[in-house]
Amino acid sequence: MNASRESVMGEPVWEQVQQQCPDVHKVDLLVALPSFNQSSTIESVMKTILAGLNVSLAHSSILIVNADVGSQDGTPEIVKRVVGSLLPLAVVQPLTEGISANPFALNRLSYSGMPAREEAFRSFFAITERLQAKACVVIDASVRSVATDWIDLLAQPVLEEGADYVAPVFRRQRYEGSLTNNLIAPLTRSLYGKRVACQIGGGYGFSGRLASFYLEKDFLWEKDAARFAIDSWLTTVAVAEGYQVWQARLGSKTQDTKASAVDVSMMLAQAVGASYHYMERYQDVWEKQSGSSAVPEIGKPIDAEVESGPINVERMVKGFRQGLRDLLPIWEIILAPETLAGVLTLGLRDDEDFRFPLTLWAQTVYDFAVAYHEKVIHREHLLKSLTPLYLGRTASLVLETKDGSPDVVRQTVEQGCQAFEALKPYLVERWRFQ
Amino acid sequence: MSEMWQEAMVEAFREMMRRGVLFLPRLMAMVTFLLLGLAMGWLVKLLLVRIFSAVRFEALCERMGLTPALAKAGVKQPISHLIGRLSFWIVFLFFAFMGVDALDFPATANLMSAILGFLPDVVAAILVALFGILLANFTGEAVLIAAVNAQVQGARLIANMVRWGVVIFTGAMVLTQLGIAKEIVVAGFSIIFGGIVLAMAIALGLGGRTIAKEALERRLRREKTDDELTHI
Repeated sequence: MNASRESVMGEPVWEQVQQQCPDVHKVDLLVALPSFNQSSTIESVMKTILAGLNVSLAHSSILIVNADVGSQDGTPEIVKRVVGSLLPLAVVQPLTEGISANPFALNRLSYSGMPAREEAFRSFFAITERLQAKACVVIDASVRSVATDWIDLLAQPVLEEGADYVAPVFRRQRYEGSLTNNLIAPLTRSLYGKRVACQIGGGYGFSGRLASFYLEKDFLWEKDAARFAIDSWLTTVAVAEGYQVWQARLGSKTQDTKASAVDVSMMLAQAVGASYHYMERYQDVWEKQSGSSAVPEIGKPIDAEVESGPINVERMVKGFRQGLRDLLPIWEIILAPETLAGVLTLGLRDDEDFRFPLTLWAQTVYDFAVAYHEKVIHREHLLKSLTPLYLGRTASLVLETKDGSPDVVRQTVEQGCQAFEALKPYLVERWRFQ
Repeated sequence: MSEMWQEAMVEAFREMMRRGVLFLPRLMAMVTFLLLGLAMGWLVKLLLVRIFSAVRFEALCERMGLTPALAKAGVKQPISHLIGRLSFWIVFLFFAFMGVDALDFPATANLMSAILGFLPDVVAAILVALFGILLANFTGEAVLIAAVNAQVQGARLIANMVRWGVVIFTGAMVLTQLGIAKEIVVAGFSIIFGGIVLAMAIALGLGGRTIAKEALERRLRREKTDDELTHI
């Protein structure tokens, strides 16, 4: 570990920890809560965490850290009151000293729902390293559905099974997370060979080893990477770097800040941009990878999907058609001729018969990846111009599965993953020889 | 009489020869300048094309939307070649003007200094034009994508209006920079711009009031009752 670098990054936060907990020098587990104006949820979240720690990790040495990025509603005070003297607690402000707000923070704000979330995580990693903690569990203070077993599910694989990264998996509504299910997860799986759900937020578990890795790698925090919210690359980087990845089935997730449909183009640019960005860095890894394997999971099996709320398919198809009409000159630059020909034929179908085949979708995503790599147009424009195509694929998924059995969406998503894997040679060839 | 005629003839011939002898070096200087201009222009063109090729300038222009914009205007040549040719002619003309200056004609006495004085304005105008075209394409593309993603009808029209707005604004700036009909350009631009804004305000206020109201209501209603799909 680069000691001088670590000291520069972690020193201000570490000083705050030392001032508040002078007797804490080494712990088994760091329980971390990033927060920003979460007075409505933090009390119940904190109480549940304490109950969970009492049940499953009563004999471990623990430090609770709340990284608050400037709450005006007394969130840190609530944390202090609830924890009291039950466990050592440090409330730190990651932005106050040393670490400055990233100029792109505003860009990331609406996606993660919290400003300076990256700096909060960076502080957690620095403290984890300083305290030589075996594990660091991060729980979002905005999640109302935190259960007592979450801490155990996120920490146990690290403490007892040698896992480096524990990603959350939630029980979701039928079509919830369609960008993740239709694009991010299949792409990650085909690239790096791990079947991870790529769900974000709620809670994560990290080993001390992985925390140190994240902390010391500048390429994760600076230059182009600084544009991407931390949730969009945590899983990708852990998988690409070959760390031991687990998934924890945490049940339902009810969150105050929810990514809404209005921001779809911005969310897509964030999430897909991060995947494409790391494709360039990890080219040597994914080019050699073929096939995929499941990752170990912990927690109760998730039941069949919950029925979804109302979905406006007509509007999505309309969005696709408008893209086809107005963005064609841009797609002509991005897509390969055969992909474009396939996309053009989709516009001829009636709304009810509208279908976006999985193979064509995988090909489209790969063409966009190659175009991103080749910088054929401004990258943000490129990513956002994918939105109508994504809406088309999502509309197709809903139309294909609306009358099917409860598991039909899961099966279709699995077929999508297989299509991405089957078409990977197409990606490799285009990436190398374009 | 005969002697006087003879003397006049000889004198005229001598004078012409003297002038010819005096003019010849200047002519040679001009020819030399022209030849030098050709050589230097060619060299600069070659050098620029090589440099552009090394830094993948064509790909950059493609990415920035400059190549497609010029293609739309009927210019099919690679931009690096265009700039190469332009630089050739600039260098050549520079030397040609020096050559003309070397001839020392009264009519072209201050040609070189006048051209040199105007050169910074020309360079600035070229830069402004280039930047303006790039900005117009970039903003036009950004607006088009944003409008399509927001499912705004007439997205292409809005994007074209933005693009042409920037182009017209750039054109006005270029003409002002070159000092061509400065007052007319400023007045014309103000009248057109103000006229468009006024026309739009009147159109919306009188003709489209109901449509605007309905659109706003529709938008607000839709945001409240939109589907519950979360994408992440």
